[in-house]
Parts: sequence; structure tokens; C-alpha cells
Amino acid sequence: MTDDRLLIEQLTNPKTQRRAFETMVRQYSEQLYWQIRRFVLSHEDANDVLQNALIKAWQGIGSFHGDSKLLTWLSRIAINESLDFLRRQKNIVTLSTDDEDLSVANTLMADDYFDGDETEAQLQEAIASLPEVQRTVFLLRYYDDMKYSDISKALGTSEGALKASYHIAVKKISEFFKSHD
Amino acid sequence: MMNEELYIKSRIGNKNPFCVPDGYFDSLTAEVMQKLPEQQPQKKGLILRLRPWMYAAACTVAILFTATLYFLAPDSVNQPQVAAVAPATTDSYVEDMADYVMADNIDIYACLASEY
Repeated sequence: MTDDRLLIEQLTNPKTQRRAFETMVRQYSEQLYWQIRRFVLSHEDANDVLQNALIKAWQGIGSFHGDSKLLTWLSRIAINESLDFLRRQKNIVTLSTDDEDLSVANTLMADDYFDGDETEAQLQEAIASLPEVQRTVFLLRYYDDMKYSDISKALGTSEGALKASYHIAVKKISEFFKSHD
Repeated sequence: MMNEELYIKSRIGNKNPFCVPDGYFDSLTAEVMQKLPEQQPQKKGLILRLRPWMYAAACTVAILFTATLYFLAPDSVNQPQVAAVAPATTDSYVEDMADYVMADNIDIYACLASEY
């Protein structure tokens, strides 16, 4: 029996559930953290979103029937939490396009937990400007090399739509760089 | 791989520009487990468990109500409507017949006398 299948069996048994969940957190939390961090950009926000996502996973453990991989199921929760966070943040904060200090690139360059150079900061700004689906599929495909079939299960979107979105996202980002050269 | 994708990779690759505080992942699991609520056994609420019985009761009441309305309805309701015809009186009947046969009173008396 694979590790995942054993873990799923233990997660569905009330006697071993808590211990199995701890194992699952230890196994997958770092991967989930980086998925979330690329969406929300700041470490503090990523930490909050990750913990909320894991608590939701715990509360919804009864609804997981093993019909997808554990990581796919967890990714779905993490991605939805990230997108919810971004939507709430959009409603609260309105950034002035004229105020360069508040741009994504400048905010990242000032962040203690961002090690990249200006080009990488500009890339993050280009990604942050994409519509939701394009941004999501680009991040999961470009950085995590996630299969379209797994992204489709995580987002509930068809593979064809995801491929088209990725294609458009890549074009936009490469144009962004060319225009800033 | 698309040309644009190759271009992006040549510009920045896919190295991770983000970092975390020292020891963050070491303490993450314990921090998460501490925040987890105690899992209660999931059982259906009372309403959910009773729902099939509620549906059955609702159907039974509906059937009984309809049957009651049907069987307690007045007879006229169940009888086919027929046009009512007022019975003709005897006197007007005799007069009509007398006119028809063109008989006068003497003929009528003679007719009646012959019968007896």
C-alpha cells in the first residue's frame, strides 16, 4: 500500500485521525506554503492563509473520499483560500496606479523575505496583474510544473481552458518584459 | 515549450526569490496542530435523520385530504346533470288532446260513457 493510501485510511479512522493529520501536515505543508506564497507574496499573509487552509482541511476531512491525491485535495483548499484572501485584500486596499512606491515590485524590494532582484520583482508584478485563472494556472504550471489534469481537479476548470489561459499568461508576461527592456 | 516560455526562463528561470524566517518550517506543524479544534464525530442532525419520514407523512396527509374531499362531496356533485322537465298537469293534457282530435264536449262524454 502506498504512503498516501495508508495515510488516507488512517485519516478516515477516528482513532488514528489526529496523528495521521499531523503526518500529513509535516509531509505537505512546505509545498503548500510555497504555492500560497506565490499568490499572496508576503510571508505573514502566506503563514495566515496556510494555517486557515489546514484548519479547513481538518474540518472537511470527512468529505475526502480518496478519489484524488491528498496533495491535489489540499492544493485545492490552499488555492481557494489564497484567492479568497486576494479578493478580500482587493476590496480593502485600493492602490493608486500613480503611486510607484506602492507598486508590487517596490513593495517586494522592501520586503525582508524577498531575495530576488528588480527583474524578479517586476516578474511578480506582471503575474499579480493577470486575471485570476491566468495567474493561477501560470503559477502552478511554471513554478510547480503541475500537470494540467491536477490543476483541472484543483480548480474545477477544463484542461482545454487551462491550456488556453496558460498560453495567454505566458504571452502577456513575455510582452511585459519586452516592454520594460 | 513555447518561445515565450523559453524567453521568460532565460530571463529569470524558475528560481524561488522568496524566503522564510529561520526555523519557520520546523515549528510550523506543532503550531498548526495546537490550533486544531477537537474533532467531533460527525453525525447527521435530527432534521436530516427524520427527513424521509417527514416526506412520507406529508404524502400520506395529502392523499387523505384529497380522498376526504372527494368522498364527502354532496351527491349532486357526483350525479350527472340532466335537464329537469316539469311534468305536465292532467287538465292541460286533456285539453291538448281534445284540440288535437277536434273533439267537443259531447264527443268526450260519449267516449267516457262507452267505456263504462
